[in-house]
Amino acid sequence: MTNLAIATDKLSKSYGSKVALDALSLDVATGEIFGLLGHNGAGKTTTVNLLTTLLEPTQGDAEVAGHSVTGDAMGVRRSIGYLPENVQFYDHLTLTENLRFFAQLSGLRRPDQRIRDVLHILDFDGHDRQRLGTFSKGMRQRVGIAQAILHAPSVLFLDEPTSGLDPEGVRTLRETIVRLNSEFGMTIFMNTHLLSEVTKTCTSIGILRGGTLVHQDTLARTLAAFPGEDSLEAIYFQLESEPVS
Amino acid sequence: MNTFLVSARHEMLNTRRARTAHLLLIVFIGMVIASSVIGWVTNQTVTGVYEKVVADGLTTAPNPFTGVSPLYYAGNAVIYVLLIGSLMAIVLGVQATLRDRKAATVDLVMSRPVGSAARLLGQLAGLGVVLAAVIGISFSVSWIIISIINGAPLGWADTGRVVAFGLVSWVLLTTFALLGMLTGLRSKQETTALLVPFVIWSAVAFVLPQIGTAARPVSLLNPVPAGSSTGGYFDVVSTITGPLSLTEQFKRASSIILQDTNVTGDATSSILILLAFLAVMTVVVVATPRHRMRSGLHE
Repeated sequence: MTNLAIATDKLSKSYGSKVALDALSLDVATGEIFGLLGHNGAGKTTTVNLLTTLLEPTQGDAEVAGHSVTGDAMGVRRSIGYLPENVQFYDHLTLTENLRFFAQLSGLRRPDQRIRDVLHILDFDGHDRQRLGTFSKGMRQRVGIAQAILHAPSVLFLDEPTSGLDPEGVRTLRETIVRLNSEFGMTIFMNTHLLSEVTKTCTSIGILRGGTLVHQDTLARTLAAFPGEDSLEAIYFQLESEPVS
Repeated sequence: MNTFLVSARHEMLNTRRARTAHLLLIVFIGMVIASSVIGWVTNQTVTGVYEKVVADGLTTAPNPFTGVSPLYYAGNAVIYVLLIGSLMAIVLGVQATLRDRKAATVDLVMSRPVGSAARLLGQLAGLGVVLAAVIGISFSVSWIIISIINGAPLGWADTGRVVAFGLVSWVLLTTFALLGMLTGLRSKQETTALLVPFVIWSAVAFVLPQIGTAARPVSLLNPVPAGSSTGGYFDVVSTITGPLSLTEQFKRASSIILQDTNVTGDATSSILILLAFLAVMTVVVVATPRHRMRSGLHE
């Protein structure tokens, strides 16, 4: 388990009689960029919400950065960064005021230098006193990344990070994700619909269908296992439609 | 810096930037100051007429303002705290807890090492400081105006009474801010989050006192609490509902503190009731489950 950033053990979540996630068991190695794929309602966001301790599992458990989501939720929260889908901020506050709040909640005592560093990494120099309400969608998404990495987490969760971005925004975000992984060694777990982005970004993938994991492997092995298929999209639809064993 | 302090500072910053909060604060401070100015103008007018009447030799009676406590001029502030202050506190409270749910920033907050109780207590502390600042500013200006009317600065005893009135006002307003926080956390829609505490406030301010003091219904908008009728149905109902009427308890305590001659007795029981409400509301709000804090709005 020591080499694993994320390990889930029959992780399940139900809402009444509706099963949102059914006995999910998956492993994500440290340093990977893991892409969780699936249709809408497949259970991707539920998985991220469970792994970030925003939800409590109905059954099962998971370890994130060595901390149990059921037994040591605070330890998990100290170790992760999280970018929700359609991230929102306090629009009447400036970029620095927003980031200072989240940095201090994460336990940073004097966060201003770290904020300056992160803003530089994400190419936000000169925007620090600008109110968030004036930012474009692409800029807000990068601010979302900024708030998630302020405290240098070991695992970063991104829920549909490219949702609503224009092609330029998608490219910038992709470069940022790859850089965070390669330069800072962060393990990245992301939900996404954009299979082309998965091909360019992820090192391993999982596919969820109706709350059940139907496939998990490295991207390279997945592509190699389907020599007749010329794209991840074709493989995805094939795996997604196979009966669950 | 821990969650409590970070949340308190953040709440103060948010209130400082919110336009609605600005408007309410200006109205409240303006009205409290106006209450002292009205007292001053009344004094000047009556004294002017009195001096003319004396000069014409039409009376030998003393000036009606002779011997009146300087704190008389602060009396009108009681009703402004009760009406405008309470509504302001409710709006600030609702905004505090609804903000994160409405903007969906709550997930960014709750995915961090943050305890829900520390977070809510921090927000409450931030609101408490804002309310204390508002009360402090308005009552300081009141103190200055009363001193001008009086022709000399208020003495230590009277200043102490103004401070005590400020503290009692803070307890009342913080209780209503907690009511706003509670509905901001529990309501499924923004409109009900605002509407429900206003309905409760109306009941506490108007209906409960009416039940016990129906013999003098017009007293409801007076700073001076109405005496309940003696004997019979209203007396029994008044005994039961009296402690629940937070606003009546506030009026009674404030009137005694400000040495209103129409109200006699000890303010201790009324202050204890106000503190009990504050404590109960704090416990109820802080006990809010974590999942409730991140529940979405149905709009």
